[in-house]
Amino acid sequence: MTPPRALVLAVAAALLACIVGVLAGSSGFGLASADIMTSIRVPRVLAGFGAGAALAVSGALMQLLTRNALADPYVLGVAGGAAVGALGAILVAAAAGMQLSEWGVAGGAAIGAAAASALLFGLLWRRLASTATSSGGDGAAALLLVGVMIGSGCSALVSLILTLADEGQLRGMVFWLLGDLNGATHWEIVWIALALALAAVWPSARELDWLARGDAWAATLGVAVGRRRRTVLLAASLATGAAVATAGTIGFVGLVVPHALRRLGVRAAPLLLPASAIAGGAFVVAVDAVARTIVAPLQLPVGVLAAAVGVPTFIAMLLAQPARGR
Amino acid sequence: MTALAPSPRAFADRGSGVVLEASAVSLHAGGAARQRRLFARLDLRVAAGDRWVVVGPNGAGKSSLLAALAGVFPIASGSVRVDGIDLAAWAPSALAARRAWSPQFWSDPFPATVRETAALAHRRDAGWRGALDARDDAEVERVLGLLLLAALADSDVQTLSGGERQRVALATALLQDAPLLLLDEPASHLDLAHQRLLVELLLRHADEGGAVVTSLHDLDLAWDLASHVVLLDGRGGAVAGRRDDVLVADRLGAVFGVAIEAIDLGGARRFVVAPDDPVTEAR
Repeated sequence: MTPPRALVLAVAAALLACIVGVLAGSSGFGLASADIMTSIRVPRVLAGFGAGAALAVSGALMQLLTRNALADPYVLGVAGGAAVGALGAILVAAAAGMQLSEWGVAGGAAIGAAAASALLFGLLWRRLASTATSSGGDGAAALLLVGVMIGSGCSALVSLILTLADEGQLRGMVFWLLGDLNGATHWEIVWIALALALAAVWPSARELDWLARGDAWAATLGVAVGRRRRTVLLAASLATGAAVATAGTIGFVGLVVPHALRRLGVRAAPLLLPASAIAGGAFVVAVDAVARTIVAPLQLPVGVLAAAVGVPTFIAMLLAQPARGR
Repeated sequence: MTALAPSPRAFADRGSGVVLEASAVSLHAGGAARQRRLFARLDLRVAAGDRWVVVGPNGAGKSSLLAALAGVFPIASGSVRVDGIDLAAWAPSALAARRAWSPQFWSDPFPATVRETAALAHRRDAGWRGALDARDDAEVERVLGLLLLAALADSDVQTLSGGERQRVALATALLQDAPLLLLDEPASHLDLAHQRLLVELLLRHADEGGAVVTSLHDLDLAWDLASHVVLLDGRGGAVAGRRDDVLVADRLGAVFGVAIEAIDLGGARRFVVAPDDPVTEAR
């Protein structure tokens, strides 16, 4: 498939997903009252699209930065920090005898994500600037390892919080961890974060393709390696933090969407980033539409269904004959 | 072996005289002062039309020298100038139009076709469009043809053999459109025929007004390509000069620690290791 055709396909899928997403509801398929549309369904579709787009863009950035096709937005440990923040907020509010609003949870997640990012940057600031002569470089490996370690530390804290929480809080916490768009109405922040992240990296996206081939080689082409890496990391952290604060840790989108697009022939970063945004948003909106209608009036967490749909699709794509060129 | 079509590219009009000048350059292993010194106070002047070949044992600093000339390896002392301007004073993207550096190792973490990989550094000014237009760029097709890669143009680089990947790396370097080529072991993994193709292409690049600095392990290949040679002895010594003066059997034998004989074959020097001599410890 040629890249432009893949892009057209992604846009068409996104439009279709949004239409279905707006029409699908736990009360049945079709138009609902204007009130439900504007206060529930449209914000939820926008929040889902924004979160999916931000996660997919962040995943594509992390893969390029670490030169690792298996990297995803969560290798940074930012999502782990967000989880600690969100669950910690629920726990503290309950201890204080308050009912936490949705904004409170999101705020806790945002603070946690920012703290984890700050830790990551603090530890790696100097390392990110190093230009190893061998094209492999060790900046990427250090980034991966430190991110994984922060994530591990955070997941230990999450386990601790889950142990301390009482029965009533557990359900909300688990849903948050699985990735849940239920009641997600504040979609603006993730869209702003997505726009900022794309604005920071897209104009020089071609440099990301050079960096993926080797730091030193990219430097000979005029890339300011340290500055570019920091910008990308900041953009990815921002997008991930905002997405997780909005919709919880929806797994899978950030790993698979860029990967699938590459297999469809969208390889160059200047195309891959916007295509990831469109396809990632479409994916989450479509999956969420199914998640809240399939066993209506019960609503499944979108993260569960994302994995249920995505994992087999992805394995099938991997095992299919590797596409020899296009 | 290949009939080479005349090239529309010529660098003669892009300025003449010295392309690259290194003065009293000293390097340390890994670029760190506390590490052993690779060599000290090396001088060389690469002019348009020159082909400089860097020769020496493993670990002597060939790759470090090439990277230092490219500006991506710290120089302990001395200076490197391109077109008379110190490397540090160049705008990095302007320098990219003057010299291309091809490392010994490439990372190919994601699927990409041979054509996409060859065109990576092509048309850098075109921004995001530069990455898109590779599929109908006549210049890309021409260079792929020169390197006998046309049939592989749509293959994934991750599926190539070592020698095929090596030719793609050369295509990437050529498509950067810079007159000065700094190539780190471009002949590794290449079979005999493709080694000759490499020499032929580099000679022609120099003929068109470009210049080449490259490391090679094959001394015969070095003879056929070089106008000048840098010989690093791995013990801190470096000799730079005209090919005929540096590629001498005694000198090479002392550096590599084996007995080397030179044979004249139709005007070209060929180097063979004398079979009876035990390997002498050079240090």
